[in-house]
Amino acid sequence: MAFTCENIVYRYPGASTEVFQGLSFRMAAPGFNALFGPSGVGKTSLAKIIVGEIDGFSGDVNAEGMTRLLYSYNMERLPDWSNVGKHLDRVAPASAGGRKDALIEAFGMANFLGLRFSQLSLGQQNRINLMRYLLQEFELLIMDESLANVDEKTRESIILNIKAMFPDRYFLYISHNVVEVSKYCREILVLRGSLKRPQTVSLTGIDIQNHQPLDKDRLEQTMLEIMNAS
Amino acid sequence: MLHRRIYQFLIIFLLGVTLLFGVKYLFGLSDYVIPSPFDLKHTLGMVYKSYGMDVVSTLTVAIIGQVVSIFMALMVGILGRQTTWFGSFIKVAAYNVQAYPIVAIAPIIFILFGDGFFSRLLIAAMICYFPILLSVLGIMSEPVKEIEHFYRITGRMRWQLEVKIRAFENIGKLTTVISGSATLAMAGTIVAEFIAANAGIGYSIRIALYQSDLSKILVALFLIGITLAVYQGLLEVAGNLIRRGWTGGQ
Repeated sequence: MAFTCENIVYRYPGASTEVFQGLSFRMAAPGFNALFGPSGVGKTSLAKIIVGEIDGFSGDVNAEGMTRLLYSYNMERLPDWSNVGKHLDRVAPASAGGRKDALIEAFGMANFLGLRFSQLSLGQQNRINLMRYLLQEFELLIMDESLANVDEKTRESIILNIKAMFPDRYFLYISHNVVEVSKYCREILVLRGSLKRPQTVSLTGIDIQNHQPLDKDRLEQTMLEIMNAS
Repeated sequence: MLHRRIYQFLIIFLLGVTLLFGVKYLFGLSDYVIPSPFDLKHTLGMVYKSYGMDVVSTLTVAIIGQVVSIFMALMVGILGRQTTWFGSFIKVAAYNVQAYPIVAIAPIIFILFGDGFFSRLLIAAMICYFPILLSVLGIMSEPVKEIEHFYRITGRMRWQLEVKIRAFENIGKLTTVISGSATLAMAGTIVAEFIAANAGIGYSIRIALYQSDLSKILVALFLIGITLAVYQGLLEVAGNLIRRGWTGGQ
């Protein structure tokens, strides 16, 4: 199972120039990977192309052996007609089994399941939203700023738990946080402006796991590489 | 809310009547043109029972017409929300038909169906149907992307869920449109009765007009206004209860 984008060319409707001009990259193995780049460079558009929410592009998106590609983003809402606990119950497939309880624990949401979505803080809203995606069956999950507004410590705990719980799934984590991306991600795809060549640079992150000590020199080195590439 | 509606109507009605009496005494108009306060009181005592029954008859037709039009507008609005050719056809048809004054079609309805209950009901329903339909179409064809995205990408979206999400997100607009359409339904019924029917307060106003009896017309207007204020107030209270029940009191 591998994920490949080859020679993607895409122009926003009504725009005069392409946002992607022959963009190519490959994610060879499952894991927690990142899509990094400055604002407006096309990260969200690329994510939508990958999951098929945008058409009208040329090139190939090849998801070998993957049938369930999901995309979550941080502005999503749950309907407010019932509490978030009931929503989770409703969208959790039978195959999710004990995963729901493990996620509730890992995301620190046990005390908030009786509340409605609008009663939660922004960080809690994003956590609940991401949780319902993780309850689904998927091979690839794109997390577009899905942990925005979540404090750093909780975010670390969540990311490390996701990595431990889903070692055989592909994740594409979109974030502007260079430390986070360097620290937790295995493969970092740096998306550069449409005028730069190549348009993407692939780097290797530290991919830290639960209870693993952090090599600070390596972290600095990775961050520097990312900043230079972007 | 109910009290506020009634107060508002009473203030407006009293202002209107005061203005009328002001004109009467300022220009020295006779009681035949504008009745005196005493005449008005006398007429009220004479006709309030029969006019009250007429208003109830009109309101009954208006409520049935409104319910029919709400039901139809919801059905057509749900069908027309889709971006298919059928949805587009319904939207274009609704926008064009609503631009035509329904009252102008009323004589045809009376010719075809006579001057009974059905004609009044049909005109009332038609007059309030199109404004409701346009609102429902607008609400139902506007995706709530930040909620619907999850259900679409995970393959869970069904038309019932789509309708539920859009209705829930716009419940305030929907209840406002429905309570506002009560005025249209009532106006439609009165116009129908005024044109050709043989019952209802519109019919009584027509007779009062032939008698040039402004007192009777003012009494009829008062009874229509107060009844409509109570009905609309009740609709708003019901709308608020539904909204509160659905959103958990938020």
